[in-house]
Amino acid sequence: MPDQTATEEETVAAKAGGSPPRLRTRMRRLLPVLGSLQGYIGLILVIVLGLATKGEVFWNQTNLTNAVGAFASRGILAVGVTLVILTGGIDLSVGSILGIGSMVSAMMLVHHNLTPWEIVPICMLVGAFFGLCNGVGTTWLRIQSFVMTLAMLSVVRGLDRQYSNNVSVGTQVVNDQGHLTPHSAQFQDLGTPGHNVLTGVLGQGVYYPVLALVVVCVVFQLILSKTRFGRHVYAVGGNATAARLSGVNVTAVTITVFVLSGMLAGFAGPIDAAYSASADPLAGTSYELDAIAAAVIGGTSLAGGRGTIVGTFVGALILTLLDNVLGLNAVSDNWQLVIKGLIVVAAVVLQRPGFFAAALTPVRRLIGSSPREGDEK
Amino acid sequence: MRSLIRPLVAVVAVVTLAAGCASKAPSSSGGSGSGSGGKKQFVVGYSQSNNAEPYRAQLNLQLEYFMKQHPDMKLLPIADAHQSSATQVSQVQNFIQQKVDVLIVSPNEPAPLTAAVQQACQAKIPVIILDRSVNTDCYTSFIGGDNYEIGKLAGQEAVKQLPNGGNVVELRGIMSDQPQIDRDKGFRDGIKANPKIKIVADREAKWLKDSAVPIMQQWLSRYPKIDLVYGQNDPMTLGAYLSAKAQHRESQMKFIGTDGLAIPDGGIRAVQLGELTSTFVYPTCAKEAADTAYAITHGKQVSKKQVLHTTQVTKENAAQLYKQYDMSGKIGG
Repeated sequence: MPDQTATEEETVAAKAGGSPPRLRTRMRRLLPVLGSLQGYIGLILVIVLGLATKGEVFWNQTNLTNAVGAFASRGILAVGVTLVILTGGIDLSVGSILGIGSMVSAMMLVHHNLTPWEIVPICMLVGAFFGLCNGVGTTWLRIQSFVMTLAMLSVVRGLDRQYSNNVSVGTQVVNDQGHLTPHSAQFQDLGTPGHNVLTGVLGQGVYYPVLALVVVCVVFQLILSKTRFGRHVYAVGGNATAARLSGVNVTAVTITVFVLSGMLAGFAGPIDAAYSASADPLAGTSYELDAIAAAVIGGTSLAGGRGTIVGTFVGALILTLLDNVLGLNAVSDNWQLVIKGLIVVAAVVLQRPGFFAAALTPVRRLIGSSPREGDEK
Repeated sequence: MRSLIRPLVAVVAVVTLAAGCASKAPSSSGGSGSGSGGKKQFVVGYSQSNNAEPYRAQLNLQLEYFMKQHPDMKLLPIADAHQSSATQVSQVQNFIQQKVDVLIVSPNEPAPLTAAVQQACQAKIPVIILDRSVNTDCYTSFIGGDNYEIGKLAGQEAVKQLPNGGNVVELRGIMSDQPQIDRDKGFRDGIKANPKIKIVADREAKWLKDSAVPIMQQWLSRYPKIDLVYGQNDPMTLGAYLSAKAQHRESQMKFIGTDGLAIPDGGIRAVQLGELTSTFVYPTCAKEAADTAYAITHGKQVSKKQVLHTTQVTKENAAQLYKQYDMSGKIGG
């Protein structure tokens, strides 16, 4: 819906001709990629809250890295979930796929002594396979994505528990002399607190989960806004029938987004395992809800067709920084739950298309410039 | 072509599922009733609240092992209630229908399981309750650890570790869980011996390691001086250790955990490696449950309430305790 209004405005602007409208058109093309303005306002509010209450304790590199790192694996899930939501579907299985990815990574390290360079691609393949199952279920078997991925949530969690025998697997493997094995030491770089990568290149280095989250966001935002596949994703979510009639292979697009979502969940698995230095059979439980919350707060519409990865990234930052600020201020866990729920409600209401324009109409009237006709309706 | 494929896929899926169920069915129902070899075999049903907790997984392994020590006892496949009381009620009822000789239950919650246990009692099936209580007297034996005592001993250990007092942070399990409530109360009573010991912060980390990591990171930012971390289970305590180690502050504080599982990722190993200062074994009750089931079926008296005491794990006894409780290699297939 909002896309249609955007294009209408663009065509109106184009018809009007002249250079100022062209600049406006450009701005309008760029703005959607950056996500919604409301998201940034929310982010700034959280940061101001943190600075006002905790100052330096909040605003220092270690604390911010810790805060983003704590949410990084869920943020990566949110990117995959956003892709699926953009096509009008939903993916509830990502938490379970992260769980099995985390377990596979620990098993590959402990029992097969593989390097992270081998472990991460294997986990991505495992995740992609379950994503493919989701895609096949929703397209060929015509199961609604909510039902199909709910079923996979259960199936994958069951496989994870069976595979692990319900016992957590530690990733800090010690040799006879009491030192970490080389591969286990390398595995720590995937996210064990206090271990950074690229230390030679960038001074202190960067915390891999944060780096991975940022890279994933950039890559998938580029895919969405620069490729034909990206345009097809929006087209399928906007109106699947119209997309099909205009030659988009809806089945292929749907399967692809589920495979990508599963692959990203598999990719996040080793990060989660390294983060707590062990793979727990329950790892990732209810992460899918955090991922969906991040996407929604970031301005993604569950109806499909509207949203950006950058928006989801901002949504993830809001969630995790808020958690950090509340934690630093020793707000009780019960109230934290209440506050986080209310934030989701507020975000959805504030991000309704036209909410901002409607709110600004009285201001415009005061200034005296006539509001556009579209806004009055 | 495609119109043909879809029904085909569906048919294949249904057939595979049906075949899977069919092949499973005889093995699970065949276990019920008395043994076939002429000699009387006693059948034991065990309903576990949730297999996917390391402590309970260890309990299951130990119970299978200790049951095998009695040749005339047969343990049916353990029923896993996935943390759902409703599921567990129906599982208990299934065991009653199968007329097991002894029923063992680790209740997920007391109230919902009470009626089911009463049903078993009315069907004249002896019931052994493990770990968490039910609101009826109609059972044969209760076996459990004492969470208050474990918390109190942890508190006393904190007093010993901090003779001059200090700042303590506490990582708590799920707030409404009874073991959480008891361990917390015990710990607070335990540290009363030294009023200079203060709990400066406590938060719910839901028994999970990866929830404990960011909470500890926040505490490390907030409090320049933390002298001791008390975690109500080992995974949470080890999560806090990871956070402290990342900021090279782990040597400034002591870490006390609870559970003491003899698995590679567990608390006993962590004490051996010097990560935890100490932990307390929460008894799994498996050996006692197997022995009690044996005694019941052989007409012997059993006591109505068996409270098991904890063992403190220190660097000195860790290696020996690990060997004692380790189940890997003891159970084949």
